[in-house]
Amino acid sequence: MLEKFHSELSQLRKDVITMGELSEDMLQKAIESLKQQDIGMAEWVVSKKSKIAKMDSDIENRALKLLTLYQPLAIDLREIACILKMITYLTRIGRYGKDIAKLTYEFEGKKHVKKLISLPHMSQIVNGMINDALKAFETKDISYIKDFSERDDDVDQLRYSIFRECLTYMLEDQKNITLCTHYIMVARYLERCADHACKMAEKIHYMVTGEHIDIDPPSQKL
Amino acid sequence: MNNKIQKQKSLKIENVNVYYGENHAIKKVTMEIKENRVTAFIGPSGCGKSTLLRCLNRMNDEIVGCRTEGAIIWDGTNILDKKVDPVPLRRKIGMVFQKPNPFPKSIYDNIAYGPRIHGITDKKTLDKIVEKSLHDAALWEEVGDRLGDSAMGLSGGQQQRLCIARALAIEPKVILMDEPCSALDPIATAKIEDLINELKKDYTVIIVTHNMQQAARVSDFTGFFYLGELIEYGKTKQIFENPKVELTENYMTGRFG
Repeated sequence: MLEKFHSELSQLRKDVITMGELSEDMLQKAIESLKQQDIGMAEWVVSKKSKIAKMDSDIENRALKLLTLYQPLAIDLREIACILKMITYLTRIGRYGKDIAKLTYEFEGKKHVKKLISLPHMSQIVNGMINDALKAFETKDISYIKDFSERDDDVDQLRYSIFRECLTYMLEDQKNITLCTHYIMVARYLERCADHACKMAEKIHYMVTGEHIDIDPPSQKL
Repeated sequence: MNNKIQKQKSLKIENVNVYYGENHAIKKVTMEIKENRVTAFIGPSGCGKSTLLRCLNRMNDEIVGCRTEGAIIWDGTNILDKKVDPVPLRRKIGMVFQKPNPFPKSIYDNIAYGPRIHGITDKKTLDKIVEKSLHDAALWEEVGDRLGDSAMGLSGGQQQRLCIARALAIEPKVILMDEPCSALDPIATAKIEDLINELKKDYTVIIVTHNMQQAARVSDFTGFFYLGELIEYGKTKQIFENPKVELTENYMTGRFG
């Protein structure tokens, strides 16, 4: 029954995953370009901005069309509701990637204040979260997202420690101020991406179980 | 407080079985239908939802070879008991059918028909009943100035609301609706749906529908039937958004049926 609907929904699901992989790639390559000061890689990331925007509006239109034509219920309705939210979060993640890549231009010809360790580490955690959210979405297995609260907490702590570290460098030498401000911005972007991954996880949890949850880092819980 | 408890008239369906000859059409259905709420019965064709609906005012008595077991308790009485006279029962538990079926009489006479056969002859009383019933069925504004016209000249949606007004005229407590909108266009359907929402303030409404979105829009509780069994019964929001039984989910998502 409703074969056309289910094949279109299945295609939509695949396209959300493709979009998610692109967002993840943009964020990861943005950090890599910053670390390596690789302008070519940064340009690649910036060039993908319009592709992400196009995927966002294309998936949104098709999801709305499915809602209008088939008025789905139960798991199908929850999946489309989840998709409509996920594409917004994935677009934002991609755009943060683009913002970070643009900062790489500012670093051209300048040396990093020190070897970049914390930011790539933070990015690794964030990318892991995005990747696991996509896996949970694809397989409808929520065990991938069960420890998001702890991972989000790690990201928040890293952001804070990067901020403190940058303050030290800035106090040591005011020439560091420009670059350190950029590092703080990047840490902030990554932290936002982790929040978006958590919001996606909440929607995926709803899609799979029908129950709404809030993912807050343990340190924010009363 | 005590008074309120006594007034509560939920319909308790207890272990009801219905057979059409050899065919076991309803299998051990037990459910409680809440007073002043809209309850929807959904399920694929032949699942027994209309059969169960017809048990609630003994309409199955009219079908040769149909046998009903179990109990339906309403207002302290088992209405399936053969000692219960179905005529006054149907006055309290009224019914609206799939196709509008007005009598080939004037609008006024359609509504006044029920009260008249129940012995009301006073013109003023009948006038009041006709006006109130048409108001309650959201039809007064459209036909109030032409009550003498033939009911057959009304549109399908108006005819269906006339049938609802006709059911309301004899002051039932429960209204059974068997696919009341399936013969109507979307505008007429929307009017009936708005009306159902109004009706639940004073009546208990039970509706059988094939249109799941309609069940989701109008009802407070939903029961999903399959092959004569009640598979899942609960609050409408939960049944449509997050059904607990796989069979319900498969039906909702069009994976069978």
